[in-house]
Amino acid sequence: MPPKDFERVLRFYESQDQNGKTIRLPLVEVILITAANNRVSLSLLFDTGASVTTLRADLYPMIGLQSWDQGQRVDIATASGLTVAYQYTATLEIFGKLIQCPIHLLQMPPNPLLNGLLGRDTVFNEFGFGFWESTSELLVTSTP
Amino acid sequence: MKVSTEINQEIGYLRRFNDFITTGPGSPEEILDTLTKFGIDWFVTEEGTLMIKYWQVAAEGFVSAEQAAVIRSTQPFSNQGDSLDWLTNNLPDIRKQYGGQWVAIHSNHIVASALNLPDLLTKAAGFDTPLITFVSAEPVVWNFTYAT
Repeated sequence: MPPKDFERVLRFYESQDQNGKTIRLPLVEVILITAANNRVSLSLLFDTGASVTTLRADLYPMIGLQSWDQGQRVDIATASGLTVAYQYTATLEIFGKLIQCPIHLLQMPPNPLLNGLLGRDTVFNEFGFGFWESTSELLVTSTP
Repeated sequence: MKVSTEINQEIGYLRRFNDFITTGPGSPEEILDTLTKFGIDWFVTEEGTLMIKYWQVAAEGFVSAEQAAVIRSTQPFSNQGDSLDWLTNNLPDIRKQYGGQWVAIHSNHIVASALNLPDLLTKAAGFDTPLITFVSAEPVVWNFTYAT
């Protein structure tokens, strides 16, 4: 396997699950360029189990929408069944790299620690990753 | 060395400036007027903390445009990790005060809060990449939802 140089370390953050058990979540601060051209930071769960990058539906004002459901309707399968999302494009800065990213708005629980999922369509197209077992760290390069 | 001298002068200036804010004879209103006069962005949080943002040119032409591109590609981006650390460590207290509201976090403070997102974005517009989130009034039972 060729050697890789990773520029960043993606940390895991402690949280509590519904049973009070401590869990560790790989959270990523992603910068979204809003419709007013401001830069705001959103916490997303690094989730290679998700095929697409999704944001909470009620974040729609950030990208200049009048409602969350005015884009292209997409039916997606989730762990709790088939659900509806709407597709848009947003400008995101992820790990210092500015990209035009397809995003889906999806109604999901309002967990303060995360406002969406950073899915594998974004992460595998744009970045390279490595991890060492049991270290609770992911290593990231923007030049895979 | 020119750059070091300038930076040392700047550090000395900031120390005197900090003394002026914390021990100076002026009223809060006079201090805020002075900040505005010197072109320093300021914001008073809901807890009464004074936040300032002040960028000073230390050295023009410090590196070439090519070197700048290399440096900028590897430097950590603003506030990465800090706000998340603070949020995860203080969530129960934040929920008590801001449950049911949108909040903007910057430099380990709630710098703005609002009942709806458009109002929050307006209030937080003066801050560089504030972390935006909604604080639910009650802890959330989170079922991980994987799109396929």
